[in-house]
Amino acid sequence: MRNNPLLIIVILLVVVVAGSQCFFTVHQTQTALVLQLGEPLNKAYGPGLHFKMPFIQNVVYFDSRVLDYEARSREAFTVDKKAIVLDNYARWKIINPLQFYRTMRTIPGAQARLDDVVYSQLRALVGAYTLTEVVSSHRAAIMKEVTNKVSALMHGYGVEVLDVRIKRTDLPSENQRAIFGRMRAERERQAKQYRSEGEEESTRLRSDADRQRAVILAEAAREAQITRGVGDAKAASIYAQSYNKAPQFYAYQRWLEAMRKSLKENSKMVLANEAPLLNPQH
Amino acid sequence: MNWDWDKLQEKRQRQQGGTPPPRQQNDTEPEDEGQDRQPPRAKRAPFNGRGGGSENPFKKLSQLRFPNGKGFLFVGLGVVALWLLSGIYIINPDEEGVVLRFGKYDRTEGPGPHYAWPAPIESVYKPQVTQVLRSEVGFRSVGQSATFQQGQVRTVSEEASMLTGDENIVNVQFSVQYKIGDPVQYLFNVSAPTALVRNAAEAAMREVIGNSQIDSAITDGKLKIQSEATQLLQTILDRYGAGIHVLAVQLQDVHPPQEVIDAFKDVASAREDKSRIINEAEAYRNELLPKARGQSAAMLNEAESYHALRVRNAEGETARFDALSAEHSKAPKVTEQRLYYEAMEEILANAEEKVLMDGPAASRALPYLTLPGLSAPAAPKVLEKK
Repeated sequence: MRNNPLLIIVILLVVVVAGSQCFFTVHQTQTALVLQLGEPLNKAYGPGLHFKMPFIQNVVYFDSRVLDYEARSREAFTVDKKAIVLDNYARWKIINPLQFYRTMRTIPGAQARLDDVVYSQLRALVGAYTLTEVVSSHRAAIMKEVTNKVSALMHGYGVEVLDVRIKRTDLPSENQRAIFGRMRAERERQAKQYRSEGEEESTRLRSDADRQRAVILAEAAREAQITRGVGDAKAASIYAQSYNKAPQFYAYQRWLEAMRKSLKENSKMVLANEAPLLNPQH
Repeated sequence: MNWDWDKLQEKRQRQQGGTPPPRQQNDTEPEDEGQDRQPPRAKRAPFNGRGGGSENPFKKLSQLRFPNGKGFLFVGLGVVALWLLSGIYIINPDEEGVVLRFGKYDRTEGPGPHYAWPAPIESVYKPQVTQVLRSEVGFRSVGQSATFQQGQVRTVSEEASMLTGDENIVNVQFSVQYKIGDPVQYLFNVSAPTALVRNAAEAAMREVIGNSQIDSAITDGKLKIQSEATQLLQTILDRYGAGIHVLAVQLQDVHPPQEVIDAFKDVASAREDKSRIINEAEAYRNELLPKARGQSAAMLNEAESYHALRVRNAEGETARFDALSAEHSKAPKVTEQRLYYEAMEEILANAEEKVLMDGPAASRALPYLTLPGLSAPAAPKVLEKK
């Protein structure tokens, strides 16, 4: 044997092949089941190196990570008869590979089952609330309840559902048009309100300004009249004071002035000879 | 003679197959001898001529430069040494090393050179833990992507269109920046982490928008939305044990849908109009009142001046009269006469027509007044009667 290096190589090959049949590794992201003649053993294998019997036993691997599932958009109805298009996804993992293998076998199979369960639960729950509640106030609560219900239902398949989340809650396109119309009307109302508020304020300011102006002018007129009146009175008092000292002479003087003023050019006069003007001696 | 030598060589060849390598040395000598004695062509024939027997190719293989026992050992050791050397690896400063042994997680290594058992025993993953990854929702950067925010943007309207809490529709574009928080979790707990982040981000943002009102979402509620979405996304990812650390959720753009955006813009215009109209009214007021005050001052001043004028006039006139009166009282008759004649002088000089009549003639004269016509003003007449 020692003499034939070829034999050593052959022996090595045999050892390797035998080893590959006796040992198997499970990756950190997987769990494994060992099937003996097609029947699974009652033990799930975690990551690491394990031993099995060669040839009679073979290994089936399962992804132990959190797996995804995306549903297509579907319609559901809320309690106030509004249609809503739901788009959701779920995250799940295989926690019991044995049960999973016995019931579902493959991941696509599990996803199909998940699809049915999630949709029916979601639809039932959405139908119990109004649109506003589904979209905002009760959204988180609905998602949590659906998750719990779905997880409970899927438990028998060795699957744990970690989360079912609603992604989109959209309204069908006809409703969208109606919503756009409403949004537009809402904005138009707001715009009108702003403009009319502006008008109101503007009119108020302008009329107030006019009023103030009128008041100012009226005040001034009043004051002016008073002042004039005072002036007139004072003048009259001065005149009276002075003329009262010699009232007859004032009358005479005043008469002369009046004559002067009224008998101006273009006057025609008829005078008698006896007039004092023509007869100075008396 | 040839036939004999051939047979001898054949025998020796067969012996060679079963004898240990050192013997070959001895065997080549007779071959050389044979070569000397035989033509080259015939010599080669024994080597190439073998077709029968399966052990012949193996023997050829074992003959072909196959080293002896020690050499084989060296080669074997060399191969093993190479295999062992392949276990050396280097972790860069922005990476972490995750080592699996037979598929199972064994340890984490920091930056620098390290050694691990080579495959199939151990395997090393080197995730980049400092790299910031980016996910876009509602839009896609065209051209410069992944790192830089500027550049062209293409809207993905189905992703962007979201329902708000007050049943309005709004378009939201945002990006998520995240990095690997825990490399072990990131690598092994979740399948398709990129898709997970995107889905969870969209769900989180829609939930936050669903709890918001459209007006605050468009204007001043953005910061609040961003921080709430960041927190929610991190909670969701932690629940899956994804080992992802969310750095930021950034709203790129929040605007009303295209169909209603004109109406929204009109609201802003309306606010502007309102300000403008009010400003115009205030300007009107600011122009009017000073003018009015000016006018009022003018009126008052005018009255004041009238007042002053009247008083001054009165004072002047009365002073004049007083002076005259003083003189008159000293010589009343003479003063009166003088004044009278002065006045008459003036008056009669001005009169256009004068008629002088005798007293009795005047009393006999018929007072006949020609009234020139109603249109012309009647001239004043003076009739002195005794």
